[in-house]
Amino acid sequence: MALLQISEPGMSTAPHQRKLAVGIDLGTTNSLVATVRSGVAETLADEQGRVIVPSVVHYADDQAPLVGYEAIPYKAIDSANTISSIKRVLGRSLADITDDSAYQFESGKDSVPRIKTKTGALSAVEISADILRHLKMRGEQTLGDELSGVVITVPAYFDDAQRQATKDAARLAGLNVFRLLNEPTAAAIAYGLDQAEEGVIAVFDLGGGTFDISILRLRQGVFEVLATGGDSALGGDDFDTAISRWALEQLPEQVRNDKDIYRHICLQARQAKEQLSQQRAVDLNISEQLSLPLTVDTFEQLIEPLIQKTLIACRRALRDANISKSEIAQVVMVGGSTRVPRVREAVSELFQRQPYTDIDPDRVVAIGAAIQADILAGNKPGDEMLLLDVIPLSLGIETMGGLVEKIITRNTTIPVARAQEFTTYKDGQTAMRVHVLQGERELVADCRSLATFDLTGIPPLVAGAARIKVTFQVDADGLLQVNAEEINTGVSANIEVKPSYGLSDAEIEAMLQASMENAKQDMLLRSLREQQVEADRVIEALDSALAKDGEQLLTKDELLIINQARDALFSVRQSTNQPEQIQDAIKYLEQVSEEYVARRMNQSVRSMVQGRKIEELQD
Amino acid sequence: MEFDFSRNYFEIFEMAPAYEIDQSSLMSSYQQLQTEYHPDRFVNSVEQDKRLAMQITSHINEAYKTLYGDQTRARYLLQLAGVVFDADKDTTQDMDFLVTQMTLREAIDQVDNCCDPLAELDDLSATALEQKKQLIETFKGYYSSQQFDQAKEAVLKMQFFNRLHNQIASKQEALEDEMI
Repeated sequence: MALLQISEPGMSTAPHQRKLAVGIDLGTTNSLVATVRSGVAETLADEQGRVIVPSVVHYADDQAPLVGYEAIPYKAIDSANTISSIKRVLGRSLADITDDSAYQFESGKDSVPRIKTKTGALSAVEISADILRHLKMRGEQTLGDELSGVVITVPAYFDDAQRQATKDAARLAGLNVFRLLNEPTAAAIAYGLDQAEEGVIAVFDLGGGTFDISILRLRQGVFEVLATGGDSALGGDDFDTAISRWALEQLPEQVRNDKDIYRHICLQARQAKEQLSQQRAVDLNISEQLSLPLTVDTFEQLIEPLIQKTLIACRRALRDANISKSEIAQVVMVGGSTRVPRVREAVSELFQRQPYTDIDPDRVVAIGAAIQADILAGNKPGDEMLLLDVIPLSLGIETMGGLVEKIITRNTTIPVARAQEFTTYKDGQTAMRVHVLQGERELVADCRSLATFDLTGIPPLVAGAARIKVTFQVDADGLLQVNAEEINTGVSANIEVKPSYGLSDAEIEAMLQASMENAKQDMLLRSLREQQVEADRVIEALDSALAKDGEQLLTKDELLIINQARDALFSVRQSTNQPEQIQDAIKYLEQVSEEYVARRMNQSVRSMVQGRKIEELQD
Repeated sequence: MEFDFSRNYFEIFEMAPAYEIDQSSLMSSYQQLQTEYHPDRFVNSVEQDKRLAMQITSHINEAYKTLYGDQTRARYLLQLAGVVFDADKDTTQDMDFLVTQMTLREAIDQVDNCCDPLAELDDLSATALEQKKQLIETFKGYYSSQQFDQAKEAVLKMQFFNRLHNQIASKQEALEDEMI
């Protein structure tokens, strides 16, 4: 039990203002919101006790979108307007989206991929914002007030564009983001604080759509990410796909292209995967006539290449961290897909130890995020826990010949600022195009283009004489700012890296404006409703008073004026949608009945005093 | 929030400038500074303080990385002693050394022909590490007797081993990718 706080004499007795903060796990398949209450981190449930919010949104004509379990039934009946796994598209360009997605993408004037729905063409940022709004509402309803800030988790392997898009979605949902937190780091926080271990930890996170491996060092309350690796398009969904593809191959050729059958197989595949965690074999029911038996052995063969991919990423992360397998003190398992026994087995073989699975792998990330949000909100003064994150992918710029010169290498601790000098290629060159890239490969074509900007006004000199200093600054969220400066003249240009396929600031402003206007509308409605209730209360009180003693205490003229004011209020209350008009009418009625109210008071005092002795009243 | 940017990296961590350092006290001093200045400590502060915190911790990170690595620390010590490094002009003239380096690089390129390329790379990595250790001893000798030109030569040679290390790592990654 928490102890009551008593302040020293003379000190302010103002209560400690506890700031409401939540942690959000915005997942590909499922999302969760958690908070710390009375020192305990817990995931927040809906009325039916469900903590998971499936990351599914259904859009219909002129209606607020449905999010979570309520949207799921529409997957079958209105699939085009029911969006799931949107995180796979978040921060990606049309060209990046390779999987044969069920959605219809629309390419407008910009390269932002938008999904056609009944509500219009929506970007991944907008759809993610709808999920975040839902989580925000759950947080505010449970905690009873506005949130001061949130911590949102992202896969450690998310690149700059994907992180930026996540922040944009949060902004759009009206959330104040304290910090983006890597999912595996959040999991380590959940375990680290519970068990206060010191040492090097590997976090193996295999979710529905993403895979992350992180090597962290926990020492003196400081979490330091030594290395991260993974694949932002590998997860349990791929296990389902592997089963589905296998099943399809077993079917007669004439039904293989039937989309309905494929959808049905996909649903069955998911169930089969889950059941195979407990039993040796299951039957896939393709149709009433046809069922396919699937054994654990076949299933494990199907997913083996995927598991090998995860193990290779693990070895790479170990090497990046300069850590040998034997130095890993603990292995933490995160994500629903780590329930698959073969996954657990492969991981414990690699690290030669049993992984931690104490905390529900679906909730552990949200719980860690909530703990971090609580600390960042300042609710735990004196808490020394700190996170030192690294940048997941190298950052560089394009040089002559389509090559990438790395300026900050992957797994460098952030924040970080680093500068490098470049020079001109041609005699008299007065401008320079700075092309910012992210990735490990040497060729521009193999890396991810983040932004392009021009530095102009370079003094015309012979090739190689100008000195252009390019500075990269990465903040604690892993977001990049680039500055280019010609050293002799001081001419400079800079850019906050916003990927060309993200939403522009203007677009986000416009959307925020729209949502704020909606909010204004909502506020107007609420205050109208409040004034109507107040008017009803005033009229009812007056009517009952007048019925008792109106004629006794008022002259005919006085009564007439009061009644006129009452009727005026009544008619305004019925007809207007302007809360101020009702308020004015209430004020006027109160004003004209002031004298009547005073007389009633006097009368009631008299009736109280009547029949009592003076002495009694003097007490 | 106060931070003196004019101090050298050793002063930031309150250490004497030397090649031999206590890694664990460097680490705890680093973590203590991070605990004080990290931007996470200033999420509720004004924009200016947030910015300052980012700049200070960027600087601390750079200082830590420099002192943590053996080659970067050696190089930084020489810079403090007034030795100038110029990436475009500096290189070693030691032909024997360059030939050894070439041989090692060729060996890395040719590991594909071995029956167990990954094991072969591990061996090459161990050989390179051994040679680098000898260079470090050479550096320490020249540095302590203030023969900075010779010390610089040793630092430039150490740089070759960093490249070699990277080459081995990317070869390992390439081999692993093929195995998928």
